[in-house]
Amino acid sequence: MEVISVLFGQPYGVIIGQLIMACKYTIYLSLIAFIGGSLFGGFITFLRIIPNKFLNFIGYSYTWLFQSLPLLMLLFILGLGAPQILGLNIDPWVAATMALVIFTSAYLAEVWRGAITAIPQSQWEASRALNLSFIQTMRLIILPQAVKYSVAPTISFLIQIIKGTSLCYIIGFQDLMLIGKRWANSPVPGSEPYIIFPAMAVLYFFMCYPLALLAKYIEHKTLLKTS
Amino acid sequence: MFELRFFEIYRSEEYIYLLLEGILTSSALTIAAGLIGFIFAFCLAALRYWKVPLFGLIAACYVDFIRNTPLIVQLFFFTFGLPALIGYIWPFWAHALLALSVNFSGYFAEILRSGYASTEKGQLEAAAALNLNRLTTFLKIILPQTIIKMFPSLSSQFIFIFLTTGVISEIGVTDLTHAGIFIDSRTFRSFEVFITLSIIYVMLAITFKAILEIVFKSSLGKRN
Repeated sequence: MEVISVLFGQPYGVIIGQLIMACKYTIYLSLIAFIGGSLFGGFITFLRIIPNKFLNFIGYSYTWLFQSLPLLMLLFILGLGAPQILGLNIDPWVAATMALVIFTSAYLAEVWRGAITAIPQSQWEASRALNLSFIQTMRLIILPQAVKYSVAPTISFLIQIIKGTSLCYIIGFQDLMLIGKRWANSPVPGSEPYIIFPAMAVLYFFMCYPLALLAKYIEHKTLLKTS
Repeated sequence: MFELRFFEIYRSEEYIYLLLEGILTSSALTIAAGLIGFIFAFCLAALRYWKVPLFGLIAACYVDFIRNTPLIVQLFFFTFGLPALIGYIWPFWAHALLALSVNFSGYFAEILRSGYASTEKGQLEAAAALNLNRLTTFLKIILPQTIIKMFPSLSSQFIFIFLTTGVISEIGVTDLTHAGIFIDSRTFRSFEVFITLSIIYVMLAITFKAILEIVFKSSLGKRN
């Protein structure tokens, strides 16, 4: 913190320091949403691939519904609507996390189901011929292959989550977006909107772009291996 | 325990009118931004495909930067930052249109570029054998195949961005989300209001999906 203020001088040092500190919450929220969304998304993927028509339908409806629903609406329903109807206070952390977990799980379930269905049918048939059970087939044959294909799109989706957290300031979540907007509205010289917003864009870029490069690298590697 | 009072929204003519106006604004802005963004993306992707010196690199940086920053930051920059810097005054919807077009162009350019790059080599060799020049090859061989191949990606990206357009209400554009926030502030029925909005958004997304499908089937799909 002090290093930054010395490096950039007043008032830029203070502003940049605060913005960088605020990135912390963006990263925490993204990670929590990613972990929660992965667990829940894994469960939805499981519902969609097990041989049971009813559970398949539930999984399908879930992904369909939450892929057609704007993240902003999820945030409004959980952050403003639910407290009103239930008559209790919901912390912005809780509402933001729940909204992002639902959003993430729907998209990740779709990505992972795609990776699993991309495995040729003959693999399933061969496993049946070997008298493997459904769980054994998944664990030993299908998942090891599917994971390879789904790593790159999953990392790409992490970028969508980080960008999605920028909406959470609307329900009062303190992250990079809220702090930045507060500075942009303040009359302090050096915090004009045309300085603050590009600075925030650069910070978001530094959080997202390494992931984009990583995803591209992994995708390239898996393509090389298979061809 | 609790009661749902949806009728507070739909019994008022004013609210229904606001919601309809919001639907119209949201859809019109998204469609306009989608078209402008597509044209812009087409140019960006062409610059990158031909590896035009300097401009190709600028296009690549632009696309990466747009794709890795949130729409809302771009929107605030185009609404509050750029006008303060250069000194022009536009209505709110024009700022929103600009920001959405820029956002669309980044995503579409990436999809188009990967489409151009995946054109089969044989096609290019055949075009060269027929002595077609670079522009004709691009317009008649590469572009039609790319659009057909990439249409599903383009349409799902369009829907995805449509679902994020709610943020333009933050700068005061009277879109669907803005109408919702206004009704919420009048009635204090947040839950019912945002459930209603969600249903409208889902229905709009389905409608857009269906329209894009019909457009694709009736114009481009015939070639296959």
